[in-house]
Amino acid sequence: MSRSSNGRRSRVAALGVATLVLAACASSSPSASQGPLASGQIGGALTIWTAWGGGELAAFQKVLEPFKATTGIDVSLTTVRDIAQLAINVEAGTKLPDIASPPTADKREDWAKDGVMKALEDFIDIDAYTSATYPALVTCPEATCVDIGIVDGKHYQLYVKTQVKGLQWYNAKVFTDEPPTTYDEMLAITPPSGASLFCMGLESGSDSGWPASDMVGNIIMRQSGAQVFTDWYQGKHKWNSPEIKAAYELFGQMADKAYGGTNTALSTAFQRGHKPLFSDPPGCLFYEQATFVTAFFLEDYPDLKAVDDYNFFVDPGIDPANDGNVMGFADSFVMYNDTPQARAFMNFMTTKEAQEIFVGAGGTLAARADVTNFPDPVFQTAADVAANAKNLLPTPGDQMPSDMKKAYWKSLLDFVNDQSKLDSLLTHLDEVQAASYPQ
Amino acid sequence: MTELAGGKAVLAPARPRPAFLRPLERTLRRLPLHLTVWVVMAIWLIPTLGLIVNSFRSVADMGNAGWWTSLFPPAGLTLESYEQVLNTEGVANGFLNSLLITVPATVIQVTIASMAAYAFAWMRFPGRDFFFIVIVGLLVVPIQMTLVPVLRVFAATGLAGTFLAVWLAHTGYGLPFQVYLLRNAMGGLPREVFESAEIDGANHVSKFWQIAVPMSVPAIASLVIFVFLGVWNDLLVALTYMGSSPNRPLTVVVTQLVTSFGGGWQFLTAAAVLQMSLPLVVFLALQRYFVRGITSGSVKG
Amino acid sequence: MDDRILTAVAAVVGVPIVLAGYLILSERLLGALSAPVQQRLRPYVWVVPAVSFATVFMVLPTLNTVVLSFMDRKSEAFVGFDNYVFFFTNPDTLGALKNSLLWLVFFTGFVVIGGLLIAVIFDRIRYESLAKTAVFLPLPISAVAASIIWKFMFEYQPPGTVQTGTLNASIGTLGFDPIPWLINSTTNNPALIFVGIWTATGFAMVIISASLKAISGELLEAARMDGANELQLLLLITTPLLYPTLTVVATTMVITALKVFDIPYVLTSGAYDTDVIARQLFSQIADAGHYGRASAVGVVMLIAIIPLLVLNIRRFRAQEEIR
Repeated sequence: MSRSSNGRRSRVAALGVATLVLAACASSSPSASQGPLASGQIGGALTIWTAWGGGELAAFQKVLEPFKATTGIDVSLTTVRDIAQLAINVEAGTKLPDIASPPTADKREDWAKDGVMKALEDFIDIDAYTSATYPALVTCPEATCVDIGIVDGKHYQLYVKTQVKGLQWYNAKVFTDEPPTTYDEMLAITPPSGASLFCMGLESGSDSGWPASDMVGNIIMRQSGAQVFTDWYQGKHKWNSPEIKAAYELFGQMADKAYGGTNTALSTAFQRGHKPLFSDPPGCLFYEQATFVTAFFLEDYPDLKAVDDYNFFVDPGIDPANDGNVMGFADSFVMYNDTPQARAFMNFMTTKEAQEIFVGAGGTLAARADVTNFPDPVFQTAADVAANAKNLLPTPGDQMPSDMKKAYWKSLLDFVNDQSKLDSLLTHLDEVQAASYPQ
Repeated sequence: MTELAGGKAVLAPARPRPAFLRPLERTLRRLPLHLTVWVVMAIWLIPTLGLIVNSFRSVADMGNAGWWTSLFPPAGLTLESYEQVLNTEGVANGFLNSLLITVPATVIQVTIASMAAYAFAWMRFPGRDFFFIVIVGLLVVPIQMTLVPVLRVFAATGLAGTFLAVWLAHTGYGLPFQVYLLRNAMGGLPREVFESAEIDGANHVSKFWQIAVPMSVPAIASLVIFVFLGVWNDLLVALTYMGSSPNRPLTVVVTQLVTSFGGGWQFLTAAAVLQMSLPLVVFLALQRYFVRGITSGSVKG
Repeated sequence: MDDRILTAVAAVVGVPIVLAGYLILSERLLGALSAPVQQRLRPYVWVVPAVSFATVFMVLPTLNTVVLSFMDRKSEAFVGFDNYVFFFTNPDTLGALKNSLLWLVFFTGFVVIGGLLIAVIFDRIRYESLAKTAVFLPLPISAVAASIIWKFMFEYQPPGTVQTGTLNASIGTLGFDPIPWLINSTTNNPALIFVGIWTATGFAMVIISASLKAISGELLEAARMDGANELQLLLLITTPLLYPTLTVVATTMVITALKVFDIPYVLTSGAYDTDVIARQLFSQIADAGHYGRASAVGVVMLIAIIPLLVLNIRRFRAQEEIR
């Protein structure tokens, strides 16, 4: 008995050691490979949290390479999907990363005033930054300053790349007409036989529903105007109101024309929603998404060419009085710990070189207006759209408190599943709105 | 004679059968049984097989056809998912973290539990039953009850996100079950052995170390495996106390990939297979102890 | 990174050494005292580490959570029963409660019945241990991995296109349209519960099988000779004899059902009316940041479990009598 159990024990021990060795070899160890610092280097460590994954993360890692090489800083990058985690840490008083995304809009004022977020004015050339970056990201009328991270006249969010949203992508070989000028026109288009009007991909794990939230947001800003849009995401406009209801209903009409029916729309991941656009025969005519979606096009169809194969038109208008409202989305960084390494990073991200690497990797616009090394002409068009927009409005979900945003996204999934529930969904959203916005 | 409740005591009629048909008959009669068994086994094996096969396919293939198509040529099997997963997204790091969390947590728990179990089993003291009842009672308390207060304590002491936090948390949560199990095991040891050791002048420390522990090795071994698997597979504790720390284990990394914007399928399959590989290997190698651990804790008494 | 490995190794090696030292040292110190005092004190020395951990991590936090459940979002002000009112009136939490009850009944029921039937059936074949290993295989893998396995099983593609999910492909060959298992409200809860059953039945099977083998074969043979068929044997002899074991399994499964988190979290994030109370609790912490409500959910879970607590303690006491 003891002999066999000894044999077992040593086998188990060997297994254990082997696994440890294997695991240790498998993980790369940047700190172990950091040699002595060259002159001019700062060295030290920097912790960054990012929500990026997949291609975006890979692009960011490319951006970091020259930074790490010149400064010798050891960058520790962690993917943290849910920004609410940051809020938990702040409230619990635990250690924060040096650099991370900004919190939801309801927290920005408090965090700025409490010194949780550090003002850009303290460590970058603010004039150079604001003059180089798209105006919509660095200047604001009174009511919307917090939305872009400006509190009491100080900037807290450093913008590094931007997207334009509310673009209707199409297969240039299939759709050759003039783009529609109104939603009604768009909805009246007859797709080729066998195809649906729209493709939709709403699934995204625990973030499912967010593509629909952008679609509804784009409708609201065109149907009811920028003021209603802003009041709505700031929690000042009720959900169960004619404007929001009309927007949901119009979106419902789009969902009714989705490829494969609502079940498919709900089950398809947003990264794959475009596939029927380019299939043969085509499954759908239009796919509403942001500029970053081209990276996913190329994953599935690597031979596609911009303009020849794929192109976009901006969401058409609804009420001409509201023309010129465009939805944008911008990624920004906030500094949470003021260290020399964090300062070096933030300064680096303002440079043309850093942002050009992002843009060169594809699928995005920069935050600096002078970065134009777009990999394809489609992006130049998108950049022009952003530059010429009367109002570049932010993604509404990001400006809502976390539970409001989640409830909003969830309501869209339930709505697509069963449109008859609209009234009860909107009433529920009003309850959440009452409870979640700070008083 | 057995009495059947509400019984019919009808004798099964004996019919003569030709001898050569009997084995055939037996197989036929048993066919439904074997079929059922194979169907059950299929239900349990096929899903896992599907994941494993998918982990060796390219993303494009996964989107176009089911995994079973890769069982026939052209199979199109590739290691690219594993390569991608090990090189990015912190999966290799997560694997290492899982190991660094699980092994110490297991060691800490089992040592503390053995000490306490021995005391509960072989020492008399006032309050012994009371404390043990509290521990048995704690077996049912859901961890969720403790998440918020413990998180705050960790935050206040600066431990949140560290390995120490998770080791301590797992120990705290796991001890009730382990003390319960080991106490049963040690309590079942023959009294005479201890008594004769006492006569020879052994004190509790040596009785513990030289008698109780060696004789309880099967129970301790099964417990170690049980705890190891439980901590390795844990999601909730790690998610709550180190959800965004670079020290988070593989379960959290995989889950965050699943619930993320950019969760490509290659990450799900390869990462999940990596996460399950260690427990599966441990389990297949040490099945006997694992089973013993489960059964002894519940059936004894 | 090397620091981490060092700390881990330090813990693995250090803790047993420290504990051993603690025991030996306390023996020395106790040795200085009189025998009766020694005997009084020593047990506490041995038991203190375990009891402290249990107190710090389970008892105190539980009490704290009960207190927090009467306070507001950030635990700054007392709000009485508001959080409980929220819990019992809010459609999201009520939906989660309803679903948890579904899990309680169906998960427990099918796991116990399934485990019993499988144990009985496997008992009769020669390759029993191979078959048991198959059913047991999901157990060592995490609920997260199991959920991912089933994510691929449940996959949905539009009707008329190639199905990539095993289930939809199978029903497709039978001529049916694919079903969006995780979205459709008729199938989604059963689908999730099935994944739970799939992971837990092996556990039940193993325990029941061990007890099953302890049932005297002679007893069963004698019953067969009296003309009882297999179904009668199962229902009238085997099951009643297994009653204590089945109770143990059932209690464990009820607790598991109430605590289930990973499966809904990974597969549906609680959407389409599949939420359960354990995930609601987590959502209150992570999404809403409302610690008062999260604690209220926790207290409700605890209250639901109290009957089992009483049962457990009673059973323990009964065992003690025998011992």
